[in-house]
Amino acid sequence: MSTERTRTERTRRRLAPRTAAVIYHVVMVTASLFFVVPLIWMVASSFKTKREIFESPFAPPTSLDLTVWTSAWERGDLGVYALNSVLTTVVSVAGILVFGLLAAYAFSRFRFRLSRWLLLPFVLGLLLPVQSYITAQSRWLDAFYLLDTRWALILPYIGLGLSLAVFLLKGYLDTLPRELFEAARIDGAGDFRMLVQLVLPLMRPGLATVATFSILSCWNEFLLAMLYIQDEDLRTIPIGLLAFTGKYSTDYPTLFAALSIITIPMIGIYVIFHRQVISGITEGSVH
Amino acid sequence: MKADRRWTPYLLVAPAFLLFAFVVLIPAVLNTALSVMDWSGTNQMTFVGLDNFFRAFRDDIYLMAYRNTFVYIGLTLILEVLAGLILAGLVTMRGRRTAFYRIAFFVPVMLPMVVIAVLWAFVYSDDIGLINSGLRAIGLDEWAPVWLGDPSTALIAVSVVSGWIYAGFYMAIFYAALQRIPTHIVEAATLDGASQWRIFFSIRVPMIRPIIEIAVLLCVTGAFQRLRPVLRHDQRRSGPRDRDHHDLSGRGRLPLPQPGLRRRARNHHDRRGARPRLRLHPDPGPRGGSRP
Repeated sequence: MSTERTRTERTRRRLAPRTAAVIYHVVMVTASLFFVVPLIWMVASSFKTKREIFESPFAPPTSLDLTVWTSAWERGDLGVYALNSVLTTVVSVAGILVFGLLAAYAFSRFRFRLSRWLLLPFVLGLLLPVQSYITAQSRWLDAFYLLDTRWALILPYIGLGLSLAVFLLKGYLDTLPRELFEAARIDGAGDFRMLVQLVLPLMRPGLATVATFSILSCWNEFLLAMLYIQDEDLRTIPIGLLAFTGKYSTDYPTLFAALSIITIPMIGIYVIFHRQVISGITEGSVH
Repeated sequence: MKADRRWTPYLLVAPAFLLFAFVVLIPAVLNTALSVMDWSGTNQMTFVGLDNFFRAFRDDIYLMAYRNTFVYIGLTLILEVLAGLILAGLVTMRGRRTAFYRIAFFVPVMLPMVVIAVLWAFVYSDDIGLINSGLRAIGLDEWAPVWLGDPSTALIAVSVVSGWIYAGFYMAIFYAALQRIPTHIVEAATLDGASQWRIFFSIRVPMIRPIIEIAVLLCVTGAFQRLRPVLRHDQRRSGPRDRDHHDLSGRGRLPLPQPGLRRRARNHHDRRGARPRLRLHPDPGPRGGSRP
């Protein structure tokens, strides 16, 4: 029975590969629209008047006036906030990736006595909501005079990001065939050589994935940024936007312009990073 | 595998572990110590034993939040992880020209929460909302509920929003894992006459099982601590506040270090803006806090 079914499958595919492709792409484009429309809506709304947004929320804008964007940028001090966000995000993500990969490599590849106990806290990190220890954390950081400095955000971001990074990277490493490492070992590669020449190239998709998530979460992080930073000059974008929504809470066009300005670069970064995710295992193991 | 030298694994784990201990573990332990104290943030701490716990568990709203959280977890497992897996399967089904779809599915993860809140308010609104207008247009007036105001629909409505946001997140995780499956395995299966469905469920899914397990773990823990979609929707005036207050992480008030912040946070809460009420609420933090 099953052979019969697969045979019809095959004939169908041979007969109408074109039709199948068309159906596939129609389904996929419809699904994509479901996810993308809000983004388009946000950008489009920034070009509309407040009245238009409420009366015909889904109509296209009548004019494309970029002055809303420039005024949103200036009025919101977005330049300063953007610089702070970039600095915080870059340092945090670099820390997450480097420390996370080192730890994941150890947890995934080596058997050592304390491995279970050292991994456990990272599970805990996934389970604990930040809110549950934020009170103590702020006091703790204050004791080291770290509050109101960039480190007040960077260190917690790395710490929080590490839980996810260690887990995901360990998961990806676990799916790598054991034989690759055994072969490398036989060829005389040491632990660090394997990390650099084998793991690093093979883990590029995984690293790119973790990098994407880490960038996103650091970039959009709100709670800690609000609590730990008082200095206007050190504030990151989400807090800048909070002030912005407060000041222009009913000025939707300006608000949407500001939101578009900070969202579009993120999508650009994702477009660049997702290329990294493509490279498959076969390309990697050729090295 | 055994390391070349005995201390190598420890050396590799050390930076991550020490940093993690410094910012998460030690504060978490200190905070647990706070849970048996009576302390308002400024006054002298006094030891009260398990009193705070008894108080919490006698609070009906707190218990309701607990139950709703579990319902929410179940719903998000389907709407986020399963949907993400299916999307990843669709994306990997055919060749390489899928970049557009992958980016499209991921877009909601990148959108600022404010935008998502405003947009879905437009979708769910009882009078001008997209769904209810549609239902009325085809003559199903009595079927049009007050989506976010009705206790029986609000939790589902909120779960759909989180599914919409995070399905793309899990799609990305699964996609990266699916990429790692050696192509020759899939090719061999195709030669043996396996259909695309068969390849997906009998080869691809079992091969990325470690990642699926991680995703389920992430989803469950994430749902437990998720603040974002829920707060924004259920604090709207029309919302069934208590019934749907499933968000455990949002319950307590924090004794914040600086009084100025407290004031601002409160003002922020009290202000009720024009329709659709649009408010920035605390994000859960880098998820794992690390989901965006």
